[in-house]
Amino acid sequence: MLDATRQQWLHGFLDFCLLCLLGERRDYGLGLAQRLAESGFGEIPGGTLYPSLLRLEKQGLVQADWVSSTVGPRRKYYRLTAEGRAAAEERVAVWREFRQAMDRVADRADLAEVETA
Amino acid sequence: MTGDEWHDSFTRILLEQGVDPHEAQRLSEDSRAEAIAARRHPAQLFGPAAAYAVAVARAARPAPLLAPLARAKGPVVLRLTNVTKRFRRREVLRGVDLTLHAGEVAAVTGANGAGKSTLLDICAGTLKATSGVVERAARIGYAPQQHGVAPYLTADEHFRLFGAVHRMGARKAVATGAHLAAGLGWRPRAGVVASQLSGGTQQKLNVVLGELSRPDLILLDEPYQGFDQDSYLDLWAQVYAWRDAGAGVLVVTHLLHDLDKVDHLLELQGAEDR
Repeated sequence: MLDATRQQWLHGFLDFCLLCLLGERRDYGLGLAQRLAESGFGEIPGGTLYPSLLRLEKQGLVQADWVSSTVGPRRKYYRLTAEGRAAAEERVAVWREFRQAMDRVADRADLAEVETA
Repeated sequence: MTGDEWHDSFTRILLEQGVDPHEAQRLSEDSRAEAIAARRHPAQLFGPAAAYAVAVARAARPAPLLAPLARAKGPVVLRLTNVTKRFRRREVLRGVDLTLHAGEVAAVTGANGAGKSTLLDICAGTLKATSGVVERAARIGYAPQQHGVAPYLTADEHFRLFGAVHRMGARKAVATGAHLAAGLGWRPRAGVVASQLSGGTQQKLNVVLGELSRPDLILLDEPYQGFDQDSYLDLWAQVYAWRDAGAGVLVVTHLLHDLDKVDHLLELQGAEDR
């Protein structure tokens, strides 16, 4: 049950997460998956990650380029476009406001429990 | 399943999902290269080919065609003045007024039996109002809930037929029809006649034909019925694309939460017995 809720939330936030991580620096798919895992989101399956990246690309928020390497296989690197950067900034602002409201509501749940206890 | 089999199956399902063949080829090469770079079997990296293809096709779906075919903007394309309809003694519509300009969307709501479909028929000219005045543009696209497609013709034959009405060449009509269909997540297959299509797909064919004849006024009757959720959203995107391209669009619906962007909301009150 909790896992399902978590997964549902992550589904709604994955595009936003990717915009933020790509705002920090350009990266390839597996690198992004690793950084999401390190951030505490757990393992994101490729079947979820890559369609999300493709959608961002189609929306013009992200640009993808295959980059060859002398040491390893060629990799597809993603980076934010100017439009993607603007979208990321906008969503971060909305998120901060939303998070505060959510915290205020969630904190009340704690108080209510103390009173009935 | 070998990696090659996975990729073959992925590509085939992308095509079935209505992805353009060039795009499908590119996406398939991408997923192959990603799997090589990750040194993993594609099923391990992306999951089952079918589910992944559906997710990718959804993400890759083209944005609805903006300004698909040029139209004049601004003039009134539909004006209803005090329109009333009675069937025998039952009054279905009373005093309906509406002025719809090119480049606007009007939504018609109301309970079952409130006269929504009747009003649409009157706008299309297939039914006569009892009293009142109906003025409208000559070129209309009409996608009724059922009918409107010829059961023994294929999609391409429909495209040629409807294109010919407006002197569009056969090749252009088929190409335009296929493009519009792709926007609704449907890729017509050769040799399949309309009667073999599912109800939802027949309705998509109706919607494509409605656009193909380059109408100034588009009349849609609950077109989402039989569409799955994603196609339904695509359809509303398509409605707004038509509006932006300068058509007037009248949509009969009963889902209220979609109506914040429409220009006119016409709520029908329902039948009265006298």
